[in-house]
Amino acid sequence: MPFTAISNENDLKIVIVMVGLPARGKSYVSQKIMRYLKWMSVRCEIFNVGHYRRKLGFEKPDHEFFDFENDELFKIREEALKLAFNSMVEWFDQPVDDSNWERDLGRVAILDATNSTRERRSTVLELCREKGFVTMFVENWCDISDVIEKNIEDTVKSSPDYTGMEVARATEDFKNRIDNYERVYETLDQNNDADLTFVKLINISEAVVINKIRTYLQRRIVFYVINLQAKPKYIWLSRHGESLYNVEKKIGGDSSLSERGLQYARKLKSIVADTISGESKEHLTVWTSTLIRTQETAQFLPYPKKKWKALDELDAGLCDGMTYEEIEEQYPEDFKARDDDKYEYRYRGGESYRDVVIRLEPIIMEMERQEHVLIITHQAVLRCIYAYFMNVPQEESPWMSIPLHTLIQLETRPYGTIVTRIKANIPAVSTYKKKGTSSIGEIADPNSSSNIIFKTPERA
Amino acid sequence: MESELSDEVSRASSSQGNHMARTQKRWDDIPSELATPADERDVERFGTDSVHQPVDPRYYMSPGQLYSTDSGSLFHAGKILIALVGLPATSKTLLAVAITRYTRWLGVRTKSFHVSEYRNKTEDGVDSSCSSTGLEFERKCVHLAVDDMKKFFQESRGQIATYDALNIQKKDRQELVRIFRDQDVKVLFIESIMTDQGLIDDNIQVALNSKKYINWDKQRAIDDYTTKLSVNESVYEQMTPEENLVYLKFVNFGEKIVINDNQYGYLVNKIVFFLMNLKSKKSRVYLARCGTSNSDKYIDDELLNEEGIAYSKKITDIIINRIRDRRGCTEGEFDPKKVMVWAGPRKRTYDTGMFFQQRGVFVVGRSQLKQLHPGAIADLTEEQVKKRYPKEYHDSLKDLYHFRFPRAESYHDLAVRMESLLMELEHTDKDVVIIAHESVLRVLYGYLLACTVPDVPKLEFTRGEITEVTFGPFCNTVERIPVPLDHK
Repeated sequence: MPFTAISNENDLKIVIVMVGLPARGKSYVSQKIMRYLKWMSVRCEIFNVGHYRRKLGFEKPDHEFFDFENDELFKIREEALKLAFNSMVEWFDQPVDDSNWERDLGRVAILDATNSTRERRSTVLELCREKGFVTMFVENWCDISDVIEKNIEDTVKSSPDYTGMEVARATEDFKNRIDNYERVYETLDQNNDADLTFVKLINISEAVVINKIRTYLQRRIVFYVINLQAKPKYIWLSRHGESLYNVEKKIGGDSSLSERGLQYARKLKSIVADTISGESKEHLTVWTSTLIRTQETAQFLPYPKKKWKALDELDAGLCDGMTYEEIEEQYPEDFKARDDDKYEYRYRGGESYRDVVIRLEPIIMEMERQEHVLIITHQAVLRCIYAYFMNVPQEESPWMSIPLHTLIQLETRPYGTIVTRIKANIPAVSTYKKKGTSSIGEIADPNSSSNIIFKTPERA
Repeated sequence: MESELSDEVSRASSSQGNHMARTQKRWDDIPSELATPADERDVERFGTDSVHQPVDPRYYMSPGQLYSTDSGSLFHAGKILIALVGLPATSKTLLAVAITRYTRWLGVRTKSFHVSEYRNKTEDGVDSSCSSTGLEFERKCVHLAVDDMKKFFQESRGQIATYDALNIQKKDRQELVRIFRDQDVKVLFIESIMTDQGLIDDNIQVALNSKKYINWDKQRAIDDYTTKLSVNESVYEQMTPEENLVYLKFVNFGEKIVINDNQYGYLVNKIVFFLMNLKSKKSRVYLARCGTSNSDKYIDDELLNEEGIAYSKKITDIIINRIRDRRGCTEGEFDPKKVMVWAGPRKRTYDTGMFFQQRGVFVVGRSQLKQLHPGAIADLTEEQVKKRYPKEYHDSLKDLYHFRFPRAESYHDLAVRMESLLMELEHTDKDVVIIAHESVLRVLYGYLLACTVPDVPKLEFTRGEITEVTFGPFCNTVERIPVPLDHK
């Protein structure tokens, strides 16, 4: 049966064409859109034209390469666009593995390049039309010098075009490159581009123009991008303290904390006080689930609290309150089915990871807007939230280890999220279950991608 | 030239509910959470749209609200006056009411103020557009509306007022900003511009069907209305950034949206998203229960039994015939593409749509339509709940909407997870048949008819009826279509 979380339109191929001068945050917005869509099981991929230009052998061109008067160089850049576009076509043509993706939602490719002239944009538009892709332009227009300076700094540090170059020289060259673009740049215009589907973000989202948006998925994307904030921010996450059920190796339930769990709750107060500073501490809000163990974990924290049903642990349905051994014994088929596809497996009368992701979406939207939030929740829910911020694929996210008694700090930056973990040094059982076994224990392989400790910090 | 607020009527047909008569607070002496015992259902109250009811400051929470604050204001947005701007026949009333419905549902204390209502209430039959007494009268109506809005902000802890008037001249807008600045109320203008002749014609048609033109000669009514339009057009000043106001331009019902100086943050973004999804539509929503299964247990995901299959067949016929009659088409002409079925994810619920599928209608399972999770009280009778969870049972009666039994969802949790679905419902111009559990239908109905928190859990949906909701610019209307029961 066709199941869908967010849309009615069938198998659309949407191309998001980024527009804007260099250092206006296009890559940042592209990354965020991709992360959001993938997390919601919408297939999405970024095609960066610069990447294909480098493939053509122009790995570290200086600003003169971006001279718009020079026809030859123009052709090379045109060639790079074609390469990027062809890869995109190939990607769209790949057969879809339905088991992991929402077939009905369509797919989204993001063409990350300046696309700064009307001529260039109509080339792209024509290419898309031929293939029957639905286009949507997303323009980042900005004249706030602080923001631009910051973006220049970030680009110079992270762009392969400038690896190994002295910062001052790279910065100067990059600024010259921007100047070259500025000479020919044509912004999206309500009159000249009235027929295009576009959203134009002026100075982040101080002013916004939304034009001819056609599909539900596009509207979702627009809502998402107008809520994005540029400044880096922190989010703190923790599992509840060790619970009585954890000790008994039972899953689910609504038990109280163990003695050690309570110790963690007490210590969390000082850990939070030491870790979170300044403005954040003043405005901090603690979000918990509605289950006893998260509330007991939050009980000593002197901040306003909010209970969310959406933060409750994945519902194990019939298996709630059982140990993995018991599940393996009583429901061997279910046990195996879950190991085979943990993301999709829905407990009898309960939930799958996908179900959890759908119910977490309002929380994610709130988190994009809010600052100063500490979330105390459960293993599966944290895996989902963490997967969103860290771009962890669905095959991996249900297998990540997120130990008890550890405060996780996420710092969201334009080019990725930086993770810091603060261990409380209070012993707790491990609740991690490896694939194919019903016994619980710490993971042995420190290089395993399922162990997030070693995945930090992440760079996009 | 004087600002001229001409007679703008974009309300729908006269068959709507008697909304202006319901100005009394209903539960004056009863604590809100204990408003009405479940067995004394007030059919009239549940059957009409409450979007124009006064905001009762004692309802500390509304159906979709995520949190509450001491001040009663949400989203760190402060108080906002949302003033519509635009010529007659540009859907301003619809926009004002829709924003009111949605923000109320989010938990914001919102009320709409329609200058046309003041006109109707105060005096009938004054021709306002041409004579000087008419102009005087118009100004009086505007003053009354502005005074009521001030009171709403000051005395009723209102957070958003939507103000449905023309506001087509710069000085009208400056005046509003000036008045409300002193009240610490920010003003967001939403300017509705229509250049699409089809949309304009639709709106004019609605206006010509209004109360004012009953018994008028058709041509005379058209002339009268056209005169009004052109008088207003000649003095209309569209909004520009030079006016230094915070505004949102809404062109051809959402084809283009321009946000200028977006400083009110998340709440306004939510309204923008809502407006992107909003449509002026003639389609309807049909709410139906799923068919029965044998043991009717929550814990088993059962298939339909024979009776359930017969029921599925029956509701399919009733709804399709209904849609066909409405559209005036004959047996062969039914277009299944203009209808879709959204069903809850349980087997028997999804399967209730199978006969629609046979008729070529697209049936889709929506995980958001999953029924309220009953948690520990799954499959227990009320008596058993009373016995096993006496304290919880007692507490639940105090606030049926927000109470969670152990491990269960509350109605509120259900509403929060259904928001994205509501957006799609607002957007589609197809008829939507929703087959779901009663708890889900209650929440959907609660949104469509602006029900209050104490009301939602008490709404009743049986297999003996299909509920048809019709969208109207001023209010939504409901009809219950009987499903004849078989007597075996």
